Amino acid sequence: MIKGQVIGGELGKVLIRQKSDAELEIGEILVCGETEKILLQVYDLVYGSQISPQNLELISGMKLEDNAETEFFDERLRNYTIAFAKPIAVLRSSNVTLCKQLPRFFKEVRQVENSDLAFITTPKDPLFIGNLRSGSKMLDVPVSLPGKEVFAHHILISATTGRGKSNLVKVMLWSIVDKDYCGVLVLDPHDEYYGRNGEGLKNHPSHERVVYYTPRDAPPGTRTLKINIKQVKPEHFRGAVAFSDAQWQAMNAYYKEYGNKWIESVILEKPLKLDFHEATVGVLKRRLTHLMDIDFDGSQVYCKGVFDISAGETTVKDIANELEQGRTVIVDTSGFSGAVEILIGSMITNEAFSRYKGYKAKGLLDAKPVISVVLEEAPRVLGKEVLESGSNIFSTIAREGRKFKVGLTAITQLPSLIPREILANMNTKIILGTEMKPERQAIIESASQDLSQDDRNIASLDKGEAIITSNFVKFAMPVKIPLFEGRAATAGKTEQKKAFEGVKLK
Amino acid sequence: MRFAHIADVHLGSWREPKLRELSTLAFIEAIKRCIDKKADFVLISGDLFNTSLPPIESLKLAVTELKRLKDAGIPTYTIAGSHDFSPSGKTMLDVLEEADLVKNVCKGSVDEGKLRLEFTLDAKTGAKITGMLGKKGMLEKKYYEDLSRKELEEEKGFKIFMFHTAISELKTEELEMMDAAPVSLLPRGFDYYAGGHVHIVKEASIEGHKNLVYPGPVFPNSFAELEKLGCGGFYLYDDGKLAYEKIELRKVATISIDCEHKSPAQITEKAFEEITRNKLDGAILLLRFAGTIETGKTSEIAFNRIIELAQERGAYFVMKNTSKLATREFDEIKVKADTTEEVERLVMEEHVGQIKSLKLNPEQEKELVTRLMLALDIEKEEGEKQADYEARVNAEMSKIINA
Repeated sequence: MIKGQVIGGELGKVLIRQKSDAELEIGEILVCGETEKILLQVYDLVYGSQISPQNLELISGMKLEDNAETEFFDERLRNYTIAFAKPIAVLRSSNVTLCKQLPRFFKEVRQVENSDLAFITTPKDPLFIGNLRSGSKMLDVPVSLPGKEVFAHHILISATTGRGKSNLVKVMLWSIVDKDYCGVLVLDPHDEYYGRNGEGLKNHPSHERVVYYTPRDAPPGTRTLKINIKQVKPEHFRGAVAFSDAQWQAMNAYYKEYGNKWIESVILEKPLKLDFHEATVGVLKRRLTHLMDIDFDGSQVYCKGVFDISAGETTVKDIANELEQGRTVIVDTSGFSGAVEILIGSMITNEAFSRYKGYKAKGLLDAKPVISVVLEEAPRVLGKEVLESGSNIFSTIAREGRKFKVGLTAITQLPSLIPREILANMNTKIILGTEMKPERQAIIESASQDLSQDDRNIASLDKGEAIITSNFVKFAMPVKIPLFEGRAATAGKTEQKKAFEGVKLK
Repeated sequence: MRFAHIADVHLGSWREPKLRELSTLAFIEAIKRCIDKKADFVLISGDLFNTSLPPIESLKLAVTELKRLKDAGIPTYTIAGSHDFSPSGKTMLDVLEEADLVKNVCKGSVDEGKLRLEFTLDAKTGAKITGMLGKKGMLEKKYYEDLSRKELEEEKGFKIFMFHTAISELKTEELEMMDAAPVSLLPRGFDYYAGGHVHIVKEASIEGHKNLVYPGPVFPNSFAELEKLGCGGFYLYDDGKLAYEKIELRKVATISIDCEHKSPAQITEKAFEEITRNKLDGAILLLRFAGTIETGKTSEIAFNRIIELAQERGAYFVMKNTSKLATREFDEIKVKADTTEEVERLVMEEHVGQIKSLKLNPEQEKELVTRLMLALDIEKEEGEKQADYEARVNAEMSKIINA
């Protein structure tokens, strides 16, 4: 269907006059040319008219005040819409290249058809995001990214509340649960991904590859989250809790002297060779007991929460093993304070990262799946203010994780709080509706493709609509993310034959 | 209410006569203490025997000791463990139950694909006991997944759940790679969870599951266990209080020789020095050699002379472990581990992915291999002809492959 005609502009700003019986939308993809096709994307719309502004005002006045019907010119010719579009790619048979030319003057543009997009194929190790979108219309063209590379090079998901971040993450996780190429750690502060009370990853046909850790009321078959205090090291608190220099020194001194019993030793105020001010140890003890929900009676330490003195010796290692086996591990952190959530995330991430560094040194990394850590409210650990007081495991991964096949999937409403250098390292950005101008600006400035004209486009993204900008796609792809709800119902289930050999049955 | 909780006796596990004797004495001592302490009943959480068809001596010992308990009016409740349960479903526990020496509490019915376990009532105390058997390769995990929990959890009274499964949340660091199931698979709300299978001594309470207890073996079953546990024991529950009853028949002394950058002669000399320095009167001596030796072969270390010296110095028994000893002259053996199960697991993991034709994922492949290994574990029955035995094993294998 013909949508309009090229009437002017410049490279990156092509003016299209809309055909009177066609509708153009921001984000819409248009095609210009037949053998050599230029794909154009609309990024802004303005009115056009053959009538001078003064006459338009006059006509409006006559209509409003006197209810007069005045006709100038042919109805189809007098008023119209002018679209501003940017060329996004050139298709020559099966070759796709960046556009370095203008479409021919006065050339007609038509709406995009599925056949124009045959070059969008499913890559190796796919990570499904959604369907290609032209304006608000969803096309029958699934968009998958090369998951292995994309995860290792970090993903940023940016959106205002209510624009479908959780739905997107669920869709992404659902698509990779049964894939061996990646293990994903999800720190889930809203306990929404497993689907304890509704649809979730537990409903996946390969649900045995989803491991769920929760500190409360674990459904049968899932893990009760317990972490032995012996597994906690001072370095795990980096980025999670702001201790003073003296407190850091005291923690390290206890760790050096008492090894994995250092927390117990702080709580029981065991002596140190080095001298620390009484108040320093006192505050440290108080903060640790509060943070880790620990109690003591003078000679014995008791744990009440997720940290334990008896259970959970292998939890962190178990999770690292599961990630290495390409599983999706969801840790329900909904009952924790932000600091505890980050502490736990930091412990697991440290373990996985140091293992992968070891594998690289031994030449074993190639055989391992990529690991991604899904972080909600990422500025808590990647924010400029946090990083001013020192780096943490997450910022280390953001900077150098790619070399070791460990990446971040950072989710945020406020990308502007993340340092530019880290944002630039996130080579794939999935942008959902973002209302605040500074946040859009931060994303646009660090995008892999030129999005300088897409400010309005991003602002107008509706729920479930997104733009993918990535080093691994040819152009910034507009997508529509399908609704997660209903996926479980359509997933096939296989009933296994049940036998209970060895049980004395009646 | 007072009861004893024993697990992982593994009667007949040791080949060395001296250690086999200690293992026997430890079991006898455990039973004696149960009687002396006037236990109301005894729980044995699996692996009473080391194999499903144990040798006559082990059977005789079990019968004698269980009869002592019976004569003292103390009932014994059991479940089958991964060692005393055969793939064909046969276990010597059935014979002991027929003789009214034990009660296997792993019983119930199947209703709409769900396993409904029943309680066995202890007449004297009113305790309600049920439990789940353990199988090799943790194949019992599927049973738990299909377990009907509601009626077990809603049952009133003092309840005990016996299990023979490694619980993920309770694994110790050394057991990191052991197959385990989450505690959430066990029904909630019981007063005591009598565990077996994992040879550790541990008690813990995890939300909805109080008194989760592993008593460990009554006598250690391997070099690693002797090194880690030193001795065996069992748990005694006395009106809410838990106490671990140690059974220490011999002291265990461990000497670790760091062989890194040393020649066989230097290692021998170092071992002599250490043995002479230690007091070994009547102790079980564990000699661990670790590291990469600088020159020569490990066989050049005078192990015989080292052991002789230790015996002269009064050691009751000497065991050596060279699993962490390597030489520069030979390629390292790929799989090294302290236990048979660990070797099996490592070999399986090293080769997973090689069965292409069945198009299985790694988990399914591991499960298939575990089942096949179990089938190959079937023992020849008394009077069974070789051809019949082979046909029986073949039939079992075909059944598994075609399932």
